[in-house]
Amino acid sequence: MSDAAVNRQRDDAVGPVWREQFLQPLKRFPIGLYPTFMMGVFFLIPFIIMLVVSFYARTESTYEPGFEFTHYARFFSPLFTTHLLVSVQFSVLASILSVAAAVPFTYFISRFRRRPQVIALVFLLCVLTLSEVIVAYSLSVVMSRSSGLPSFVEWLGLIDKARSWYPGYLANLFGLSFFNIPFAVLILFPSCTRLDRELTEAAQTMGASPFRSFTTIVLPLLDRTIMAAFVLLFVFTMGAFVTPSWLGRPEDTMMAQLIANQALNRGNIPFAAALSMFFMAVTIILSLITVRLRRGDRVGQT
Amino acid sequence: MNLVRWSKAAFIIAMFGMLAAPLVIVAGVSLNAKKLMFFPPKGLSLQWYPAVFETNQWLEALTTSVIIAISAGIIAISIALPIAYFLWRHKVLYAKALFLAGIVPFALPPVITALGMLIFWVEVGHVGQIWNIMIAHGVFLVTLPLVMISLGLESIDDEILEASRTMGADSRRVFTTIIFPMVLPYMVAGYAFVVVLSMNEYIISFFLGQAATVTLPVQLLASLRSGYSPIIAAVSVMFILFAVVVFSLVARFGDLPKLLGAWTPKE
Repeated sequence: MSDAAVNRQRDDAVGPVWREQFLQPLKRFPIGLYPTFMMGVFFLIPFIIMLVVSFYARTESTYEPGFEFTHYARFFSPLFTTHLLVSVQFSVLASILSVAAAVPFTYFISRFRRRPQVIALVFLLCVLTLSEVIVAYSLSVVMSRSSGLPSFVEWLGLIDKARSWYPGYLANLFGLSFFNIPFAVLILFPSCTRLDRELTEAAQTMGASPFRSFTTIVLPLLDRTIMAAFVLLFVFTMGAFVTPSWLGRPEDTMMAQLIANQALNRGNIPFAAALSMFFMAVTIILSLITVRLRRGDRVGQT
Repeated sequence: MNLVRWSKAAFIIAMFGMLAAPLVIVAGVSLNAKKLMFFPPKGLSLQWYPAVFETNQWLEALTTSVIIAISAGIIAISIALPIAYFLWRHKVLYAKALFLAGIVPFALPPVITALGMLIFWVEVGHVGQIWNIMIAHGVFLVTLPLVMISLGLESIDDEILEASRTMGADSRRVFTTIIFPMVLPYMVAGYAFVVVLSMNEYIISFFLGQAATVTLPVQLLASLRSGYSPIIAAVSVMFILFAVVVFSLVARFGDLPKLLGAWTPKE
């Protein structure tokens, strides 16, 4: 059935659409009930319960049914606004840094011959799936006083006395960016493989330097993909938990830590639920933007 | 020209080197002879590897994680396959809605999913059970096999299906003899991704485990906080090796660039 037909039906009545698009397909494919049940019960319902709980009243140890906006009102308190600003700041910077490193890197990888490319991809997948715990820990070793870069810099004579570089603002920023890079590569990879080689080759035959052909041909062609990658990484970084709690200072606390702290340590589930609702709304809006950006992807259409 | 080539090579090597740093450091620390976390290691010893299997808390966390990862993979595939097949066969709103529902979990920050599921299990009254995490991981990671299986279904040639139907095969037979074997590599790859990501997932396991069910990443961070031991590094190295083996197998038996969305020209 064409989209136009669907639209026409939508104008006519809701009934036929429901029957044709939902009931009849289910009759022909009853197994569809199983994924509906799983996603409904274990994904949709938890979110509905969380939405309801975000209006509940907090008690000493837990929460009780109610309908109040106190938790949402706390969004105007400095506790929330400072952590939100910190999270946004880290997420913007970490996304910019990782995308800036990943764009040329992915472009080069997409030009590899097949075998080295597969090896590079296996390597990137391993780094990508590496637990945040392991990455944060090993970066903290690099930045520790006893066995990391600080003592090396001291040995070089650049500083008098080595001290640990973590926890700190830059340590956290580096950790977040590091964690984003393999993810950024995998987002950019499909579009990079679709780039027409003949364009850059033609430019270089006509005398453009590789750098110039990269900035004037490749980057403009990838602009929407790069924007989409940036937004996705922003969302991804906003959810960081282990990295900021291991590499960051208390003042670098980010949204996910705030939610976890409120829910698990303070036992304030309704406030944590309200925070999650806000967080989810932001994420959905940003994801819709990426979908729009991807629809206009210049290289994807070729 | 030469300068450009050199700087390009230097950049690529620097990036790979930087990304490999955690693996190298963790491997180095795991070789320390004494119960200290030095890098480079002081004295060499492999004693921390068998220690992982001899220490109760680590062995338990390892078993828990493996059981969760294997089951989460099965749950994720069991949800993803019907959705992908449904959308591929019948391009109806219902199937599109289900597909969207399968994409959303991965796009949301995991802490939200973790909290939602924690509240759910608190309300149901079964907090801290191992199967809470199995289902949570299965649902949370369903996006990967869903996308991959859909990719596999798209790659099936319509003419083959047409031919089999003309020759009298009913839809069940078409599914078991053509569709299923053709998407099997994509299913296996999707399964592998879920297993590896589930093994490494921290925050959902942390929220839902409630100290009653402890997975490896949760145990890792707890040990890091309470005190150092090269066992932590040894466990990490085993994690990395596990991922290397799984993804190498996926690359060996499947088309990894294609799975990750690379464009391959049609002959």
